[in-house]
Parts: sequence; structure tokens; C-alpha cells
Amino acid sequence: MSDRLTETVEQFALVPDTDRLYLLLDYAEQLPPLPDRLSAAREAGLGRVHECQSPVFLYAEVEGETVHLFADVPREAPTVRGLVGLLVETYEGATPEEVAALPEDLLYRLGIAKQLGMRRQQGFAGVLHRLKTSVAEAAR
Amino acid sequence: MADYAHPEVLVSTDWVARHLGDTDTIRVIESNEDVLLYATGHLHNAVHIDWQTDLQDDLVRDYIGAQEFARLCSEHGIRNDTTVVFYGDKSNWWACYAFWVFKLFGHKDCRIMDGGRAKWSAEGRVLTPDVPAYPSTNYEAQEPGGDIRAFHAEVVRHMERGGALVDVRSPQEYIGEVTHMPGYPQEGALRGGHIPGAVNVPWSRAAREDGTFKSREMLEEIYLQEQGLTPKGDTVAYCRIGERSSHTWFVLRYLLGFKNVKNYDGSWTEWGNLVGAPIERGEPEAE
Repeated sequence: MSDRLTETVEQFALVPDTDRLYLLLDYAEQLPPLPDRLSAAREAGLGRVHECQSPVFLYAEVEGETVHLFADVPREAPTVRGLVGLLVETYEGATPEEVAALPEDLLYRLGIAKQLGMRRQQGFAGVLHRLKTSVAEAAR
Repeated sequence: MADYAHPEVLVSTDWVARHLGDTDTIRVIESNEDVLLYATGHLHNAVHIDWQTDLQDDLVRDYIGAQEFARLCSEHGIRNDTTVVFYGDKSNWWACYAFWVFKLFGHKDCRIMDGGRAKWSAEGRVLTPDVPAYPSTNYEAQEPGGDIRAFHAEVVRHMERGGALVDVRSPQEYIGEVTHMPGYPQEGALRGGHIPGAVNVPWSRAAREDGTFKSREMLEEIYLQEQGLTPKGDTVAYCRIGERSSHTWFVLRYLLGFKNVKNYDGSWTEWGNLVGAPIERGEPEAE
């Protein structure tokens, strides 16, 4: 895990089980709007995470060794918006290697897998997969 | 709404707005696909019940027991004679699902707010993040009843005698082109297709653009005239996991007055994966 993810995991661990999921609402709130230069791609349907039932769009750019992440997720889907917001905030400025090393069992490490329930956990896998592949492609 | 077979189970956003203060006799319950949506804002005085973390028990792949259900209701200050009104996201899918589970445990007065959360928001009505607390009650839950829920063995017998089966999934899922709904890969099955003899009526055909239910006339046109279903016969509805079909179950049972309609909540994730269960692929056979 990257240092920032380790920090995030530690922050989640400080919050009691029953309240931990609500931490995602802050991330949902803080997700920056998509920059204008990406709105054409968004309109064309590029960057959509098809595994998500809600319209989730994720973009990665790599400048030298630095990853920049952008996303658009509806406010009516705060859980996935929060999860995407967490990834964007934690991995903005990371290296492509750090993104590639993102643990697949992140929801367990954050301690929110049980609170999400079995069926919601696996939908998140699509977001992670998209993040990793788009960073890998942009780094090429 | 007055034309429906049981018009009393459907209430308008206006009706709910007028009764938000009647918390002694009415409890408004939000049930969503998104587990955090309620926390971002909800109807004043409404409580939250999650279809998955509150109503299901992963350890047995079943619903919670009568005791847990009684505890859940008691915590939310619901008595056996409380009028419970459900609403939620996604055209009330999960509201209908929660409604069905409450009926399973024998709760008498359940209703749906027509149009759900989307209609309420579209009308510019107030949403609040304040979570209400109610004095605990002593709810007494019945053991879950069987007359609205179909298990696999019963569906097999029903199929064998040519009983009416309504598959409410998308045409692609019904035909067998895809084994899961777009966006829900985790709820797939090893085989694509449908239960032999089932007709395909995607659940969304019962809803208007704004999430409200279509008129009785429009619904009869679809389910009776077009599909040849009959309110007097035995009918079983299914989808993937029983949630879209609880929407159709609600339509058939309460809006069209079907006497005996059951939701097969095992649905395609059970039938499609079951060793020895026959399936059909492709378009329905022409009669």
C-alpha cells in the first residue's frame, strides 16, 4: 500500500464499525468536478465504468511519474461516489507503480466490506480494475 | 389511483407530505439500492431500512428471522398496527422489495409512495439529513408466511403443470444472450435463458418515466391482453435475485388484483445455476 493509503486505512480504523461507512460521504462531497477539457470525452461515453449501474466515469493522465485522476459520479449514488472520491484523493499525485499495487481487498482493509454487504462489494471491483488499466495505458 | 384493485396501498407524494407529522400512526421508510443515499437527505421523520444489511442474512442466504424482524421494527418504533409507507431510489424497486418482506412477516398496513424518491425530489420537496428516533415498541412478528413467496420445489411443480411464469428481466437476459444485468456482474449465473414456459415482461414496463406506476388500463393492456395472464390463476414472478420481481409482484397483486401471485426470490441466480434444472433459450415459442 502507498503511504497515503496506509494513512487512510488507519483513519478508517479509528472510527467505530457502525459509523465507518459514513466516512465515504466526505469523500463523495469532496470529489472535484470533471475539468472542462474532459467533458467532450464524458459526453461521448468514453471512460465509463460499465460494471457500475450508475453512470461512473473515470480518467487517468500520467505526467512523467505522476498520476492525475478525474472522475464523474452522480450525487444520487453517494456510496460509489465516495469510493471513487477516496481513490481519487488518495492516489492523485501517486506513481503508476503505486496504482498498480493497489490491493484488491481494499474494502476489507478499510473495514467497510461487511457494512456494504456481499452484493455491493463486488461492483467496486470494476472501478478498481478500470483505475489500474487506465493508469497503465496512460503511463505507456 | 382510484382505479386500481387495491388503491389504498398506493399513496401520492402529496399524501405523504400531509402525513409526515403523524408519527404515532405512520412510519415512512426509505429503502434504496445505495446504502448511503438516505444519509445524504431523506423525507422528514423517515427511517432507513436497507434491503441487504437489515433484511437479509448472508449466513443462510435467506431473510432475517421473525425475532430479528421484530427487533428491527421495535427499534424504529413500528407497532403491529402502524401504517408503514415505503419509498426509495430506482423507481421504488427496493421499496417494493422491503414492502414484500414486511408482508412476508405479516405486517398488515403497508403502502408505497408512488414515484419514490425521484418524484419527491423532482417536485422540489424538502429532504433532511436529520435522523429521527422513536420510542421502542414491542413488535410481534409472525414466522414468514409462504403464500407470497415461492421456493424452488414449488416453482418446479408450477412449471410442470404449465402455470403462469413472468420473467421480469431484460430481453437479453431472458433470451440468454447475457448471464447478468449490465452493471451487476456479481449476480450472474452459469447459464443464460429462462424457466421453460415463462413470458418476458421487463419490470420497467409497469412504470412511467417519472417512476410512478402506469394506469390500471395500461397495465391490463400489457399483462392481461398482451401476455394472457389471468387474475384468477396462479402466477409466479422472478428476476435475478427477487427484487425487480417484487415490483411486478406488487403490480399484479395490488394494482391488478391477482388472487395468487408469488415472488420467486431465488430467481435466476438459483435456477440458472442449479444442477438438473431445465431452461429455455431464445424467443418465446409462438403459439
